[in-house]
Amino acid sequence: MYEEQTNFKETKEEALRRVRVALLNILEDTDESRKEAVNERNKTMAIIENLTDGILLLNKRNEVEIISPPVVDFFRKEEAEVVGKNIAELLEGEDFKKLKDILFDDEAKKTKVAFRQEASIGERLDLEVTTVFLKDEVEERGVLIIFHDVTRDKLVERMKTEFVSIAAHQLRTPLSAIKWTLRMVLDGDTGEISAEQRDLLEKTYVSNERMISLINDLLNVSRIEEGRFLYKQEPGRLEEVVRTVIESSQELLKMRKIVLSEDIPEGLPLVEIDKEKIYLAVQNLLENAAKYTPEGGSIDISLEKHETEVVFMIKDSGVGIPESDHERIFTKFFRGENVIKMETEGSGLGLYTTRNIINAHRGKIWFESKEGKGTAFYFSLPLARQKTSEEKS
Amino acid sequence: MFKKILLIEDDKFLRELMNKKLLLMGYDVVSAADGESGLVMIKESKPDVVLLDLILPGINGFEVLEKAKKDPETANIPVIILSNLGQSEDIEKGLKLGAKDFLVKAHFTPQEIINKLKAILD
Repeated sequence: MYEEQTNFKETKEEALRRVRVALLNILEDTDESRKEAVNERNKTMAIIENLTDGILLLNKRNEVEIISPPVVDFFRKEEAEVVGKNIAELLEGEDFKKLKDILFDDEAKKTKVAFRQEASIGERLDLEVTTVFLKDEVEERGVLIIFHDVTRDKLVERMKTEFVSIAAHQLRTPLSAIKWTLRMVLDGDTGEISAEQRDLLEKTYVSNERMISLINDLLNVSRIEEGRFLYKQEPGRLEEVVRTVIESSQELLKMRKIVLSEDIPEGLPLVEIDKEKIYLAVQNLLENAAKYTPEGGSIDISLEKHETEVVFMIKDSGVGIPESDHERIFTKFFRGENVIKMETEGSGLGLYTTRNIINAHRGKIWFESKEGKGTAFYFSLPLARQKTSEEKS
Repeated sequence: MFKKILLIEDDKFLRELMNKKLLLMGYDVVSAADGESGLVMIKESKPDVVLLDLILPGINGFEVLEKAKKDPETANIPVIILSNLGQSEDIEKGLKLGAKDFLVKAHFTPQEIINKLKAILD
């Protein structure tokens, strides 16, 4: 019996010893993990704090968890007074209105994982704000916001577009003088000229006209980039604009011996448009089609009503766009490899301008093309908002 | 009786060209090279039509137009803006201030400008 007891005691002690060792091991592991975690945290914080982009992490109650030095500067606050505060309190005042709109866009939260927008803080800062919604399977975890300072880029951009705009305007004056002089000489206002002189001057006149239209293109592009291109959007009829463009292009089509057929149905719904700009977009597409279609070719134009939009199509039997150029066709100053060789005039600004116009209307533009067969360009414009019966009355 | 046109234009060469064309087409022409004197001429010479540039030394074309339209003596004289500005904002502003038409110089030949003049004079 005694022996048994001793045995029992020994095994108990043995067990306890083993537990102790195991516990010590666990503690050691935990400590190790804690050290690792602290280490990782320090690393992460070092990265965050030394990034030139600003980082702001909000928990799901919109309270500030992490704020990096650039963001503290953007908000003109001290770090200590910011951490733990609700973000709404920190963004009071007119200066932060745009930023607030972005951060509290609940609609975006529901539908998107991340999005990027531009926001200015008063007059002093232009920021590119990337918002990332952190979620796991169970719930929202908060929001990560990355601020990229684009103030300087914006300033340079503004100066650039202003320069182009002034330059374009100043260039028009001497070109007007050339145009008027040539025209007056050609019209016989300064006396008779020989057939040879006439021929040369006519060609000079055409060159000058080309220059004037190039400057118009540049002017449009600079305005697009200033973001003040869309002047007046109101419910209008796309078919009317398209018909006006077709009418004014008759001479060009006749010259190029191109047959144009149109399929424009009656009773299309209204679309929200800036007529002048849509005119420009359609004109660019039609001019392209005419320029890059060999004599005797054909162009089809059609309009079609879809559920939420009207779709415009222009299809030609022209030279097409080489496969390798498809990706770059809408970029500024880009011209297709095959058309550069054709000696046709072109600034490389037409499609760039057109896409910007369509995008500004919240529309879409796309194309299908086969080299040697032809090209079809499409764009869609959303229908004008239906007025409710109350608004009508 | 020749119709009298007042040309307000600061570019000397453009002024000469337009002057020549107008004379050829049988108009009586007076001209001014800046806004101040243009405004004085509108009052003194009582033209049948004013061709008005916008970018002018001193007071600009918009101000000339505004003042001419406010003065009951000159309010009824038709004004055509002939400028190389031509953004929608400028055009709208010009027409709102009472201009009869807005022509971008680089987009019209002298003959086309005369045709616009004729349309207003008839």
